[in-house]
Amino acid sequence: MFKLDRKLIIIGMTLALSSTLAVAAAAECIPGVYKSKPGAIDGGVIYPRKDGVYTAYRYNTQSTKGVWFGRTPTANEIKAWDTDVLPDGTGLPEGEGSVEEGDELYEAQCAVCHGEFGGGGKGYPQLAGGNQDKDENGIVKTLKNQRLEPGMDAPKRTIGTYWPKATTLFSYIRDAMPYAHPKSLTNDQVYAITAYLLAQNDVEIDGQEMDDDFVLNKDKLVKVVLANANGFYPDIDGPKGPDNVKAFFADRAKNIGAGIRCMKDCKDPGMDGKTEAKVMKIKYEMKDVVPPYAYAKDLPPETEGGSVSKAEKQYDTSCKLCHGTDTMGAPKVGDATAWAAVMKKGMDKVLVNAIKGIGGMPPKGGNTDLSDADIKSIVEFMVGASK
Amino acid sequence: MNREQEEKLTSASRRDFFKKTASVSAVAATGIMVPSTVLADDPNIIHHVKWGTTLGYECNKYPYGMPSPYEHNVVRRTSALMSSAGDMHAAISMTPIAELEGIIVPNGLHFTRTHNGVAQVDPTKWRLMIHGLVEKPIVLTLEQLKRYPNESRILFLECPSNSAAEWKGPQFGTAQFVKGMMSCAEWTGVRLKTILDELGLKPEAKWMLAEGSDGSEMSRTLPVEKVLDDVMIVYAQNGEALRNEQGYPVRLMAPGWEANLCVKWLKRLEFGDKPWYAKEETSKYTALTASGKAIQHFYALETNSIITSPAPERDWKDLEKGDLVEIEGLAWSGYGTIKGVDISFDGGKNWVEAQLKGLVLPKAWTRFSYMYKYEGKPLLLQSRSYDDSGNVQPTVNQEKAVVGVECVYHRNAMITWAVSDMGEVSNVQIRS
Repeated sequence: MFKLDRKLIIIGMTLALSSTLAVAAAAECIPGVYKSKPGAIDGGVIYPRKDGVYTAYRYNTQSTKGVWFGRTPTANEIKAWDTDVLPDGTGLPEGEGSVEEGDELYEAQCAVCHGEFGGGGKGYPQLAGGNQDKDENGIVKTLKNQRLEPGMDAPKRTIGTYWPKATTLFSYIRDAMPYAHPKSLTNDQVYAITAYLLAQNDVEIDGQEMDDDFVLNKDKLVKVVLANANGFYPDIDGPKGPDNVKAFFADRAKNIGAGIRCMKDCKDPGMDGKTEAKVMKIKYEMKDVVPPYAYAKDLPPETEGGSVSKAEKQYDTSCKLCHGTDTMGAPKVGDATAWAAVMKKGMDKVLVNAIKGIGGMPPKGGNTDLSDADIKSIVEFMVGASK
Repeated sequence: MNREQEEKLTSASRRDFFKKTASVSAVAATGIMVPSTVLADDPNIIHHVKWGTTLGYECNKYPYGMPSPYEHNVVRRTSALMSSAGDMHAAISMTPIAELEGIIVPNGLHFTRTHNGVAQVDPTKWRLMIHGLVEKPIVLTLEQLKRYPNESRILFLECPSNSAAEWKGPQFGTAQFVKGMMSCAEWTGVRLKTILDELGLKPEAKWMLAEGSDGSEMSRTLPVEKVLDDVMIVYAQNGEALRNEQGYPVRLMAPGWEANLCVKWLKRLEFGDKPWYAKEETSKYTALTASGKAIQHFYALETNSIITSPAPERDWKDLEKGDLVEIEGLAWSGYGTIKGVDISFDGGKNWVEAQLKGLVLPKAWTRFSYMYKYEGKPLLLQSRSYDDSGNVQPTVNQEKAVVGVECVYHRNAMITWAVSDMGEVSNVQIRS
C-alpha cells in the first residue's frame, strides 16, 4: 500500500514537473535566444547548424570538400616541434642531471625570481615548501585552508603540495624557463633543475630519497608520484575521461554552485545555512593602478623631451626585469645609495662585471646580442638615472 | 552638465545676468514663468567655437586613425597586484568596461594577459602545424590559412581570473578592476572542423594540445568534442589583423571558454588519446575548492553580469531627485545565450526584470537596461543574469557554499554597487 502511494506521489510529481517544464519551454521563446539543446561537454548547450542558419548567424552551406592549402610536414619538422611530454613519459628525451648540478644551475638562473631553495618571496611563484601531510581521505590537509577571516593561512600551491605530475615540470622548464631567455637550457640541465626542485620538495623515487648525488633521467622521472596526484577532479584519464568531464559539468548546481531566480523576499544565508548576509565594504582599496585613475575629457599633458635613447630602450628590454625593482637583489635604478656603492668599484670594474656577469646576474644580463659598447651606454644610462 | 559646472557657469556669468535683467523682465512681463535659477547664456552657443573658425587637419594626417586626444583617459590599466612583483611581462591589463558602449570593444582597449611578455611574430616566418592522430598532417603559412573559407563571430573573451581579487571581500574600487579582465569582439578565422574534415581525424583522437610560439610556449589540452563543435583558428579582430596583445597573427578561439585556452601566437595543434597535463592546466587554472581538491579542465565561463552605469567611475552625483535614468550593464555566459537579467535595489531581497537590448548572441556580451526613477536614497544595486543552459548567477554566499574562497578562477558571484544618498557608487559585497 505504502509502495503504491509512493508510486502515485512520484507520478504526481512527474506530472507537476512536466507542466513546469512546459512553462519553461514556453519561456524559451525569448526573441534573440536560439534553439539549443543541452549536452555540451562543458555543461552548456549546443546549437544546431541547420539550413544555413546557426543561431543569429547565416553560414556558408557550399561544400568545402577538397579545399587544401598547405603541405605535409617533413619528418624532421615534426621531430623539431613535437617535443611535448605526457605523464606516461612519452616524449621525454634522453639525458640526465644530478640534484647537485641542479642546485648550481638553480642558484645561478632561477633563485633570482623563485627565491633560495624554491622558497619564493620574490613575488614569483614559490616552488617548494608547504606541509604535504594528508588527512584520512588522502587529501593534503593544508589545501583545505580557507581564508574566511583575515590572518588565516593560505593553502600553499607548490610542486610538492599541489602539482599533480612531475613530467609537467620538465617540459615547462625546458620550454618556458628561464623566464628572460626561455629554451636556453640543455636537456641535461633541465633534468638537473627538475631533480633539484623535486629534492627540495622531499620527493622520493622508488622509496629512495633524492640526495645531492641523485641523478635523474626519464625512467626515474616517470616513477615520481607527487603528494597531490589525486587532488584533482573530474577524472580526465582513460577512455572515459571526456565523459567524466561532461557528467561533472552537467551537474553544475552541485559541483560548481548556482543561483536561484527568487524574485521576492529572498533569503541569502551563509555557509552554515543560518547566518544573515551583511554588507562588506572595502577595507584597504587597491588604488595603485597604472596609468593612475583619471576620467577628465581634456587634452593630455605635453610630454617633455620626447624621444627615448637607444640605451634606455635596451635597458627596458634586457635589464629592467631585475634592476627595475629592489626585490631581485640587483641594484635598483633610481636608488642613489645602492648605485653609489656599486660605482665605488670604478666604472671599468662595473663594466667588466656587467659583461661577464656577477652573482645572480648572467653575462650581459642574459642578452648576449648586446655589444660591449651597448653595455657601456646602458650602464651609463643606469648610473645617470640613479643620481 | 553636472551641478558643480552649472553653479560655476551661473556665478561666473552673474555680471552678464544683471546686464540681461532688462530683457528677462520683459519676458516676465508677458507672463511667462522665469525659473528661479536663471541660467546665463552658454558661451559655447553664443560665440563661434574654435573648431568652427579654423581649418581642421588634413583628411589623412593619421593614416591609421586615433581616438580623439580628449579621450586619452579611456585606457587599459594594470596594477602591481596583477603581476609578479610589479614585473609587467607576466601581467594583466583591464578593459575600461564602464566607459565603453555597445558590445564591441575597440582593439586598443581589449584586455591583455601575457605570461612571457607580448610576442611580436613575423607573419612571414609564422607556421602552424596540425598533426598527431590525423591521417594527413599539415603545415600552413598564414597566407595558406587565409585561403580557407572563413567565419566571423561576435564572442566575449574572459580571463578566468576575472574578479580573482574579490573572493575574500571587495578590494578594488572601479568596474574596470572588478570585472575588466574581459572584452568582446568580432573574430574572423577558419572553423577548425573545416580543416580537420580534410585531414581525417582518427577515431581514437580524444584530446587536442594547443601550443603557442611565444616564450611561455602556452600549452593547453582541449577535448575533441568541443573542437569539432565551434572552435576556430582566428586571424582577425573587429575587421583587422589581431593585435600583438591578442596573439598576432593567429590564435585559437574556443567560444565561451577560458581565454587562456584560446592560445595566442598559435604554433601547433596535436591530436592524441590522452590529456597532456600542461603547466597552465595543473599548477594554475585549476580551481581549489574548500574540500582540498581542485576542479581541473574547468572550461566555460559562468553566467555573469555587471552594472556598468552607474558604476564607481560613472556615478550618479549629478542626478536630481525625480530624474528618470537608465541603469545599464553587461551580461554574458560561456554556456550559451543570456535569457534575461534581474535587478535588485536592496541587496538581493527583491528583484525586478531588466530588459535586454541590442544584439543577443550566444557567448557574447549582452546589454541590459532598466529605467529607474532616482530618489536620492541609498541603494544596494545588483544584477543577476540567467541563460538558456539553466544557469542562474549566484550570490556571494551561494557560490562560497559550494566552492569556498580559494578558487582564484571562475568567479561569477553577483557584484554589488552601494549607491549613497549623494549618488556616489562603491564596490561592496553582500556576504556572511
